[in-house]
Amino acid sequence: MKRWLLTAILAVFFLFLLMSVYVRQAVLFLVGIGLGATLAATRFGFTTGWRQLVTERDPSGAAGQLLLLALAALLAMPLLGQFPELQAALVPPSISLIVGAFVFGIAMQVADGCGSGTLYKAGLGIPLNMGILPLFALGSFLGASHLQGWLALGQIEPIGFVQSWGVPIALLLTAGLLLGLAALMRLWVGPSKTWFSKRWVWGAVLLALFATLNLILAGQPWGVVYGFGLWAGKLVTAAGMFDPTSNAFWSQASNAKHLGESVLLDVTSITNIGILAGALWVSMKKKASNTSFTASNHAATLTAKQWAVGLLAGLVMGYSSRLAFGCNVGAMLSGISTGSVHGWIWLPLAFAGTLIGLKIRHAVFNDNSAD
Amino acid sequence: MKLLQNKQSVLSFVFWLLLTVFIAWDYAKSADINQREEPPLIAAGSGKAPTGAHCSLPK
Repeated sequence: MKRWLLTAILAVFFLFLLMSVYVRQAVLFLVGIGLGATLAATRFGFTTGWRQLVTERDPSGAAGQLLLLALAALLAMPLLGQFPELQAALVPPSISLIVGAFVFGIAMQVADGCGSGTLYKAGLGIPLNMGILPLFALGSFLGASHLQGWLALGQIEPIGFVQSWGVPIALLLTAGLLLGLAALMRLWVGPSKTWFSKRWVWGAVLLALFATLNLILAGQPWGVVYGFGLWAGKLVTAAGMFDPTSNAFWSQASNAKHLGESVLLDVTSITNIGILAGALWVSMKKKASNTSFTASNHAATLTAKQWAVGLLAGLVMGYSSRLAFGCNVGAMLSGISTGSVHGWIWLPLAFAGTLIGLKIRHAVFNDNSAD
Repeated sequence: MKLLQNKQSVLSFVFWLLLTVFIAWDYAKSADINQREEPPLIAAGSGKAPTGAHCSLPK
């Protein structure tokens, strides 16, 4: 497909959202396109950045992520302090979070992509990620369906930096913790390393801006996995395989409402669709297509066993992301940037899982390379 | 190489076709959208609590 034709199709869809859905949803679709185009054009992969840090002692990807967290927090926290109607990503630190984040960290390395990574790589046309997406959705649905049981294992009240100590201290605390992470990274990678590369810095700046736009417009931070679970939930409910009224999560008023109304009204769904579209748009640029094809060569030649392991990892990733209250975006980026303690619990646990995930990845795919 | 490119194109086409069909099916079967209930374009400063769902919602 030609790029101009895709642009025209996206413009028509935008107009449809504008006229037949809500203006806000139409604008959020554009925000999603911006997120997807940024992720794809800068190849801003959370999974890749961590893999580079561990296997190559290359700090550039992880440093880009620290920059993103810092910028997003710098923008989001004052907004949360100023506008009480904006929601932070506050969730209870819990057994569910601990298990979910750790398992997610394992699965995301095996599946070669977190929530946003799976989306943008699927948008770029990478076969494994396109195959993973439906299983990620199914896993996310199942995880949400079991969430109340996991939460019953133990939880404490959510803790928010902004709500507990105000904006200045929340910002200082966040900056201190991020600097602490940078110091740990410096110890690991050693001296004379290039910390900031152009693409990671551009990615961090643009993603922070689009994530903040999402917060300002939708009133909630950027998230990915709720939308996936909703899509699968709609399908299994329509197929008569699931009764949402008998489930603690899906029978909640807001979730039941989302199940009954169009996905075009759901904030995370509309930005997810935008991310896919933005990545597809970027893939049509010659240079990006070459990048995409290089990656897809690898995926297209996967063995049946590698496909099976990758798809299973996608299912596990979806399930665990709901236990962990999100992926690298919903839990880590949105949690940390809006001052939720759970984001700071999620990060080290997912990183610990990543260390195991890399070993599995190496054993199954014989590959720890960064895309 | 050409075969792989074609395979990728077919997979990509099927992926987008399925996504489009899902969105269209869902739109057709879901409750009608009441534009009178439209939330404010910008939540910040609107004084209205967000209505969307997020991964961080425990319930």
